[in-house]
Amino acid sequence: MSILEVHNIEKHFGSTRVLEDISFSLEQGQALAIIGSSGSGKTTLLRCLNFLETPDSGSISVNGSVIFDAADPRTQLESEIRKKRLHFGLVFQNFNLFPQYTALQNVTLARELLAKERGGENRDHILEAGKELLAQMGLADRAGHYPHQLSGGQQQRVAIARALALQPDILCFDEPTSALDPELTGEVLRVIRGLAEQQTTMIIVTHEMAFARDVADQVIFMDGGVIVEQGGPRQVIDHPQEERTRQFLSRYEEG
Amino acid sequence: MFMTVIGALNEGFVQTLALFAVTLAGALPLGLIVSFGSMSRFPPLRWLTRTVIWVIRGTPLMLQLYIIFFIPGMVLPSGNPWPAGTTGRFMAAAVAFIINYSCYFAEIYRGGIQGIPAGQQEAGMVLGMTKSQIFFKVTLLQMVKRVVPPMSNEIITLVKDTSLAQVISIQEVIWAGKAFLKSSHGYKGLLWPLFFTGVYYLVFNGGLTLLFGWVEKKLDYFR
Repeated sequence: MSILEVHNIEKHFGSTRVLEDISFSLEQGQALAIIGSSGSGKTTLLRCLNFLETPDSGSISVNGSVIFDAADPRTQLESEIRKKRLHFGLVFQNFNLFPQYTALQNVTLARELLAKERGGENRDHILEAGKELLAQMGLADRAGHYPHQLSGGQQQRVAIARALALQPDILCFDEPTSALDPELTGEVLRVIRGLAEQQTTMIIVTHEMAFARDVADQVIFMDGGVIVEQGGPRQVIDHPQEERTRQFLSRYEEG
Repeated sequence: MFMTVIGALNEGFVQTLALFAVTLAGALPLGLIVSFGSMSRFPPLRWLTRTVIWVIRGTPLMLQLYIIFFIPGMVLPSGNPWPAGTTGRFMAAAVAFIINYSCYFAEIYRGGIQGIPAGQQEAGMVLGMTKSQIFFKVTLLQMVKRVVPPMSNEIITLVKDTSLAQVISIQEVIWAGKAFLKSSHGYKGLLWPLFFTGVYYLVFNGGLTLLFGWVEKKLDYFR
């Protein structure tokens, strides 16, 4: 059984159709890379999975249970959505760290709030877990720093730790290196690569083709709101079948 | 003579401070509610709130004082709702000031909230936080940081605006100073007490300026 199944997602902004008939599935422990030019709908798709946008039609299932169905309003209750969001983690292009909290507080805040609500996990345990995550990101010595005291690459790694702290089933990345200076992309990509080696289930929207080819088990190429081609990286990136995919990739080779 | 005048001015300044404190205590929270109304996703509420803000900010506070003090007694079948004497006048002044300043504060809050990038709220949402958790744990402090400079401006204006309350006979410090022009506490035709009231405002606003500077500095640890 796939951990994630997306069926026929469609989304309009006003009269513009931004997603059309999007269907794919993802297996536990696999990494999916979504590539495509700006405006192709990649980010909107991620935002739909994280309930930041509501698809006009289609359904999303996690571990075999339907968590969203556009035709079934019961799956769209505000109170439920909050819980369902926790299946997914999202790392933003612009990090969106909370500026008034230290790196460690950014990582632990949401988990502490959840623990307070549900009881259970104690605070020390959450702090330990947070420190461990920061160490895993190579930021053990930055735990007490505020976001503005960190470089972009460090901020993005804190953001990854923050998303991991809630132990999502599926971790989503929205162009995690696009807001970074070129010399800082390496450290972030290395961390994501490390997560892939640990069999973290991930969806990565990226413009880094070499990275996508290395890390992804599956690649989706999107254009104009539709999935043009999907398959293994060797198939989609190295031997694309579709003309549009070839055109898109050739621009990367030239550049 | 000096001590007598100072005593009288002090009495007036207590009224000034009382009106100032009551207005702040009412308008700081009420302004937040008004600002939420002006940002509501429910259009009728949004437009109603914005109309109220437009009317209140678009007309003089002095006029609002007159209206709130006199009109209820003229239109309510039960007669004047304000208690007789100083209490009633102070209550009317407090209500007028709180409504007026809530609208100004609301606009400052709105600017502070809307200036926070949408990504902050979205980050809270994808981390499973509730709307109120996002407001109190993520947005609020960032808003406070953004609104401190414009709020300090507005609050200093409030200190001076309290003098308007004398139009409904609140005996605040300028009223107390002006009383010496004619006769007060056994003295007649004294000009300087009126001018001396300026010292009260200067000293008090100086203190406020220091306080706001300190708050700004306290919030300097993040950007």
